[in-house]
Amino acid sequence: MDIAIVDARGWQNTLDLETGEKASVSGPAVEIVQGVLRRHPYPGDMDRGSNRWVSDTAIDLIEAYNPRFVFLTYAAQYFAGRYVPMTGEERSRMIADAFLEAQRFVDRTGFAAIAVGTGNMTPRKGAIDATAIDGLAICTHWSTRYAGLYDPSPADLALLRSHPHIESIVPREEVMTLFGGTPGQAARVPQYLMLAREGYTFKTAGVLMKTPVMIPSVNSAIPLYAPGRTVEAITGIRAILEEELAEKNVALIFMEGVGCDEFAWPFTPCRNGTRWWHYEPSEAQYLTISSGRHRFLDYPTGYKDFEEEDASKLYPFSGYFKAIPEDTFGSHFPGRSISVGNKSMFMHMVAGADISIECFARNLYNQGTMAVIHRQDKI
Amino acid sequence: MRCNYCERRCRIASGETGFCRMYTVSQGVITERFPHRWSACGTSRMEAFPFYHVFPGSRSLAIGTTSCNFRCRYCSNAYIAKEDPESQQERMYHLAPREVVAMAKKMSCRTIVFNVNEPTVSLPSLMDLAAEAKAAGIPMGCLTNGFMTAESTELMASIFSFFNVSLKGISKTFGREYIGASSLRPVLRNIERLAGIRHVEVTTPVIEGANDTEIDAIADFLGSVDPEIPWHVFRLLPEDEMRDRDYPSIEAIDAALRSARERLPYLYFHNFVGSDWVNTACPACGTVAIERFSLGCGGDKLNRVLGGEGQCPGCGRAIRLFTHSPHAGDEGAVRTWT
Ligand code: SF4
Repeated sequence: MDIAIVDARGWQNTLDLETGEKASVSGPAVEIVQGVLRRHPYPGDMDRGSNRWVSDTAIDLIEAYNPRFVFLTYAAQYFAGRYVPMTGEERSRMIADAFLEAQRFVDRTGFAAIAVGTGNMTPRKGAIDATAIDGLAICTHWSTRYAGLYDPSPADLALLRSHPHIESIVPREEVMTLFGGTPGQAARVPQYLMLAREGYTFKTAGVLMKTPVMIPSVNSAIPLYAPGRTVEAITGIRAILEEELAEKNVALIFMEGVGCDEFAWPFTPCRNGTRWWHYEPSEAQYLTISSGRHRFLDYPTGYKDFEEEDASKLYPFSGYFKAIPEDTFGSHFPGRSISVGNKSMFMHMVAGADISIECFARNLYNQGTMAVIHRQDKI
Repeated sequence: MRCNYCERRCRIASGETGFCRMYTVSQGVITERFPHRWSACGTSRMEAFPFYHVFPGSRSLAIGTTSCNFRCRYCSNAYIAKEDPESQQERMYHLAPREVVAMAKKMSCRTIVFNVNEPTVSLPSLMDLAAEAKAAGIPMGCLTNGFMTAESTELMASIFSFFNVSLKGISKTFGREYIGASSLRPVLRNIERLAGIRHVEVTTPVIEGANDTEIDAIADFLGSVDPEIPWHVFRLLPEDEMRDRDYPSIEAIDAALRSARERLPYLYFHNFVGSDWVNTACPACGTVAIERFSLGCGGDKLNRVLGGEGQCPGCGRAIRLFTHSPHAGDEGAVRTWT
């Protein structure tokens, strides 16, 4: 059984990750995790101590579990940069702080770092209002550049195709040609995928009122810090991890919302997508890096996720994930592995590490922390 | 001119605004400043609002506007409720009532629920929307702080088929110190009135050291109105001006609710992940009739309804549920403001 341990500050529960039912389990891994969660309450997505929480929690867990592979996400600068207006100087200082925090982790643990910036951010110029159309437009998962379009009338298509801030409208068939995939996966892909020009967001049903000041740029390439190594695309990062781990302990570090323009460590750029598709900082980007192949089709941007949100949906703590994804790096790595991050509640799905600890926040509301134990048998 | 939408009864001069900044006086009439502008328009599960006794497990279109007539120190939506509404208009959805209803249909929503801020500050738009929703057979519900005038209460009862009224406290001191309201008596009056004519659930966010001593008094009040009112006691997340406070103790609040549980069968304690107190048990025999799961803050979900809908699987007794068309048993017209 995959176990979730949720710590809502002074209230810890052990549950079955798949069903959400309470589980009565014990053992050394459970005890380690319970202690780490108790010692490290999450300060909040927008708190200055948020990235420090990632390092501190990971260091504590490493001391207790002794893993060989660590998957880390530092995301405080992404949340703050997205919502808090700041000067260039303030932004530079914030990003420098994030790298200092990652460096502190590396210095303290001695792990060899391989670091990825998930992409540049750009000031938001405006929104493309796609609400008052005959069909239905949908944005999902904090996506700003892409939106799904369903049942558009000829008038909708004419209007949207002539919109100055829409770059293109791609029919489902073309998306499927790009990514391949099964008929089952095709059913989830929107009828059309709309692409906004850089700096513009889609405004569709379900978009949060908290309007961002900075949004992800159109990142055709993202920075990779991997001393002595280069890869052509993000799908090649997994092979580097495998090779490096043959010799040393490795930490794969994600610096969220930082691209080639602001990455503080020496890097080589690597392609962040395929042809016209470029990943936004998202679960799909993480999964692609973790598994070494494109994973757009697992939960495509702009799909009708609300239609799958019924009482029968499994994995209640895992957002829209309905199953544990296949081929994640952690799930294949035979040594011990952990992941720690403050991005959101999906690290345990995309990393596939034996033990994951992540913040339990919903739309920036701090509910506490959650750990997932996929493997108890390596202790 | 006096605005009589809520109990603040602001005096508003021509071209000026009242406390909530959502109404002005134009040509001698109290007028809504930003009609048909919405801060939210997306889907949500019924349990997430929370409505535990309304169309269990169904999908709803969640809408809201901006601003509020209260100034709670612990507002969880301060960026919408406390900011100047004028500054937010560029970000809003501009949707006519017909378009909101069309959106609900496109997303297969069973109901429309106003849940972001206080509906009293946007009643004319909601009247228009209700007329359109009613024609489409879509019931509307809302979350409200209950501080509207008696006249507005009747108006809201003609708009909404189900309510979740936030009864934040009872004492004058709490109202003054934490809400910015001189008295919470109108809220009690309105709960009494609405519970007699519509489906009502009540929510109380508990803040240790502020209103936890009022739990029994609130329970007594609800018991006197209708012991089967579903009551959601929330563990408050320290937000907004109170973000530096400690998270309230779940054990302490649970202990404080013990005596209330004996009087109010539909008492729930949640707003934190993995709560043990989110299932509906039969008031007569105690058998669990509806199972839910709490993900905290707007994330509750239905697990399953046991037995027949609205019936105890153990003894067959009726379990309170609202599953009607708009305003069943009522003439159905949306009132107009007089
Ligand atoms: S609705 Fe607004 S303007 Fe009217 S009385 Fe209440 S606070 Fe004042």
